[in-house]
Amino acid sequence: MVNGWMAFSRDLQEQLPLVLNGLIETLNLTVAISISGLLLGVVVFYLSTCRSALIRQVTKGYISFFIGMPLIVLLFLIYYGLPQWGVRMSPFTVAFIGFTLNVAAYNAAYLTTAFNGMDATELEAAHAQGFSDGQVFRYITLPQVLRLSVPALTNQVIGNLKDSSVAFLIQYTEFFARVQELAATNFQFFKAYLFAALVYLAIVSLIVVIARMIEKRICIIG
Amino acid sequence: MDMLGILQHLAGGVVYTVLVTLVCSLTGLAVGLSVATIRRLSGAPLRTVCDVYTYLLRGVPVLVLLFIVYFGLPGIGLKVPPLLAMALSLGLISSAYLAEIFRGALDSVDPVEVLAAQAMGMTRFQIFWHIEMPQMLRFSLPGMVNEFTSVLKYSPFAYTVGIPEITKEAITLTATTLQGAEIYLVVGILYFSIYRILLVGVRALERYFRVPGIASL
Amino acid sequence: MALIEIRELEKRFNDQRVLAGVNLDVEAGEIKVVMGPSGCGKSTLLRCLNRLVDPTSGTIHFDGQEVTGPMVDVRLLRQKIGFVFQQFALYRHLSVLDNVTLGLRKLQKLRKPDAEEKAMAQLERLGMAAHKDKFPAQISGGQKQRVALARALAMDPAMIVLDEPTSALDPVMCREVGELIRQLNSEGVTMLCVTHDIDLAQAISEKAVFLNQGVVSAEATFAALANHDHEATRTFFNRTKA
Repeated sequence: MVNGWMAFSRDLQEQLPLVLNGLIETLNLTVAISISGLLLGVVVFYLSTCRSALIRQVTKGYISFFIGMPLIVLLFLIYYGLPQWGVRMSPFTVAFIGFTLNVAAYNAAYLTTAFNGMDATELEAAHAQGFSDGQVFRYITLPQVLRLSVPALTNQVIGNLKDSSVAFLIQYTEFFARVQELAATNFQFFKAYLFAALVYLAIVSLIVVIARMIEKRICIIG
Repeated sequence: MDMLGILQHLAGGVVYTVLVTLVCSLTGLAVGLSVATIRRLSGAPLRTVCDVYTYLLRGVPVLVLLFIVYFGLPGIGLKVPPLLAMALSLGLISSAYLAEIFRGALDSVDPVEVLAAQAMGMTRFQIFWHIEMPQMLRFSLPGMVNEFTSVLKYSPFAYTVGIPEITKEAITLTATTLQGAEIYLVVGILYFSIYRILLVGVRALERYFRVPGIASL
Repeated sequence: MALIEIRELEKRFNDQRVLAGVNLDVEAGEIKVVMGPSGCGKSTLLRCLNRLVDPTSGTIHFDGQEVTGPMVDVRLLRQKIGFVFQQFALYRHLSVLDNVTLGLRKLQKLRKPDAEEKAMAQLERLGMAAHKDKFPAQISGGQKQRVALARALAMDPAMIVLDEPTSALDPVMCREVGELIRQLNSEGVTMLCVTHDIDLAQAISEKAVFLNQGVVSAEATFAALANHDHEATRTFFNRTKA
């Protein structure tokens, strides 16, 4: 057992640059999809509040479909399916597109929930003052809805970090993929995966702390 | 191969997908309920243990825990069969999320009702069993549905430990037919259908247990 | 001997003496009204009776038995004292009927048909039989308090304790519940009612106990209380009257 730990830590030190590199890739992906997922989520949410019934229906279908479909299947579809039609993309691009579509659906759903809880008279008042639909959305709806959704949105970021480990299944060499390689060199699978779990846990804790700080700063009084 | 042919090939996997989802959901429900119960009924030390449990399991990716259980534990002498490995990873992680949902729902139980039950002469456990838990379950329904659909969506990880569910069948089929696009499209539609059926079932259940004045869904 | 004999009852929360030596008797069959300003310890007094709150010192004898000691079967004691709360405290996941039968089935271990028969008798008595399948959210405040009374009475308690039974109700319903309490008492139910609602107090009793700063400072008819020598008592009963 002690020998095992020593072998593991020796190999970990040897492969540390690669592991760290993987960690950076993981964070890259997490940050990228958190931002793109939020932006697309806002767009989808905007379309879901649109006056056109057709557009509302389509966005509803979008949200429902991507929430009902496993992320991994979406990634496999893009990574293993699309090349058949001549569309070839790097693992990062595939992960980025797949995650963005998926995360945006979730974020749009959170924003919609917050929107449904909003005071309708406020929106009426804004319209009565003469603001256009777009202005009402930008100045009234979105700021409120975003603030109300902060806990859900930060949970989604934590989810993004954890789910990014899935990307190794489409050959993206992120953190967990590097840990796999590390485990394969000395067959200390248990230790390697436990190490990975602790690293994820540490980053999740960090995000939780930051999220609490954000929540405190921007909470609406009342 | 046309879509129908693909569907026929993948149909066998549906049983395993449903099986994995059920096993992990039930594990999550049983453990999650136990954790919420222990947390509610016991003193500070055990409560902290429950909090640590939920915090740890919510901080670890499903795939990583699955690999610890299935590929890691044999290294220290514990061989775990695939389905059990799913229950011990996906199932336990969902138990942590469910325990948190239950905790929130218990906070919504009116303390005066608990006091009334106490004044009636009920034991602490009777109060939990007859007053708190029935209300908790109704309050938690939306959260529980989210969690079960989430389990369904993580169930494809079962392919990594060799369970022949939909995704595993799709990988095999893609390797021989090279029709990945159509195959994964069908897979997506299959999962979406299972998800919708699950929702219909839950809605029916919800209608059956609905009590006026207790909001859910 | 009185059904309830409270002697020198004291309750401290940290440094605060909420009850500072209360002496009070409740005779079987009587209705006793305890009044006093908010924070005078009324609720704490009631909660000491069935040990929802443990008194710091003093004694309570219930039916001749000391109830403050450690050897007392608290749950059995609680089954003998029906408790009615200000906020009704109906179990909102249970129908009106199930609210009444729960204690009968789970505490008195009655079979379901027997429990339902007994519960229905009480619901009839309180005019709620027609609403037996409704849920708490579907009935009015006054109706909720009727169900709460039925729930307490169904357990065949030695007495009913009411904690501000009307303060969550509108005036019409207050009167309704007041009449009901009076009727139940005339049927022989012993009651101890804590309230700051003078209308309710006068509707159900000729006399009241004035609890002030943790002690019983007077027990007399309303007229006597309004002209009491003790200034705080006089002020309280004149103010609440106006």
